[in-house]
Amino acid sequence: MSELDLEVVDGLKLSEEHRKLLRPGEPVEDENGNSHRLPRFFFSVPNWKRAHEIKLASHFTLAELMTVDCREADLLLEEFPHYVPCAVTLIARYLEDLRREADAVILVGANGGYRSPVHQRNEPKSSHCWATAADIYRVGSTYLDDEKSISKYADMAQSLGPQVFARPYTQGDDHLHIDLGFIAVTPRNWSEE
Amino acid sequence: MADDDRTEKLRDAIDAIAKEQKTIGCAVSVRDYNGDFRFGHHADRLFHAASTIKVAILLAVMKAVDEGGAKLEDALHVRNRFLSVVDGTPYKLDRSSDGYPQLYKSIGRTAKISELADSMITSSSNLATNLLLDFVGTDEAAKVLRDAGVNGVHLRRGVEDENAYDEGINNETTADGMVELFAVFRGDFLSKKSRDHAIHILLNQRFTSMIPAGLPAHATVAHKTGEISTVCHDAGIVYLPEREPYIVAILTEVDSDKNGRRDTVAKVSEVVYKAVTGKAK
Repeated sequence: MSELDLEVVDGLKLSEEHRKLLRPGEPVEDENGNSHRLPRFFFSVPNWKRAHEIKLASHFTLAELMTVDCREADLLLEEFPHYVPCAVTLIARYLEDLRREADAVILVGANGGYRSPVHQRNEPKSSHCWATAADIYRVGSTYLDDEKSISKYADMAQSLGPQVFARPYTQGDDHLHIDLGFIAVTPRNWSEE
Repeated sequence: MADDDRTEKLRDAIDAIAKEQKTIGCAVSVRDYNGDFRFGHHADRLFHAASTIKVAILLAVMKAVDEGGAKLEDALHVRNRFLSVVDGTPYKLDRSSDGYPQLYKSIGRTAKISELADSMITSSSNLATNLLLDFVGTDEAAKVLRDAGVNGVHLRRGVEDENAYDEGINNETTADGMVELFAVFRGDFLSKKSRDHAIHILLNQRFTSMIPAGLPAHATVAHKTGEISTVCHDAGIVYLPEREPYIVAILTEVDSDKNGRRDTVAKVSEVVYKAVTGKAK
């Protein structure tokens, strides 16, 4: 069990079906052609009720960072447990900081938190596969769908620390993407051997 | 009455209505399942399809469901961001001109495919339409039309894709094409479950001032309207308890400042009903 009262699993010991989809520890290329190893250790989420109960930070539940649509693989979408990389706690912490800075509710969109490597919106592989990214579509009552609002909160997110990347506005954006890069967490008491 | 007479009288009646209403173009196609009566009047003339194209997207969605590519209860991310078929430029829809503005409150969250299909047809939601088309893919949806043998409906882009419009890339249909499309919902291209589901949605159409307005009160119609500034259409399957149904497509092109355009379609619907059943409304 982790501090979150969730079982931690080694992805390499999951069923073959799950390993084929989650590809734990496998190297993949990002949009710039750089190679990164996918996460190996996951929280095992037994059901949606638990996902809604578990607070990763004061104002962010696990459910908010693992909601995907039917572009996710059927097995990962429909069958429990769901597996979420352990680094998900880190992005939640920064979202909480951003909420404090903005003094407003931060809403992460569907498909805007963790997405598995086989999610249809994950080609090429993005930091969403590491659960270290969040697509914010709304801050308070403001929908982030124009340059002014996206730039404002991108600057705010960037000010939280050099480890935070906030994607600058490009034409037609309907959310602010922030991420912490490709962090794969090995939980305490677990070996990578 | 012999079919030749019936055809001639119907043609004259439609021409008289079109002349009286000063339409620029009026095309009608009819397929009656009570016998073998078929009728076409300018039925191969291409029109901007307007929202009648949503029936083609409904067909593609139901085919995806039949083939296991989607489930009606599946959730789809609701976002107002689409890519032009011309150059991939992002664009967004205008909430104020959407038939179902409530859906915009779900932006960022998810909606079920069944709910999107329902609002695409019954409320003519442009947002639901583009979300579903984005999900199934324009090329795939066009392929479904071809596989179903629908040759007169040309699905090329999503709604409000202005870059495509500027390049002359539009969704188009003929009256015969619309009849072909509705006939698919009576054939075996889809599973019975999917056919029934699609017909159920089409029967719940909220906009009833065209084909249904020309029919007796006991008629029910599984249909879809389509209107932009210069066209006004309605097409669907007319069910009458005393007989087998008929499919009718009525497509009109009108001056953008012309009033009474829906009345024109309703009047044509009435003369079609009379020709098909031999009864006055």
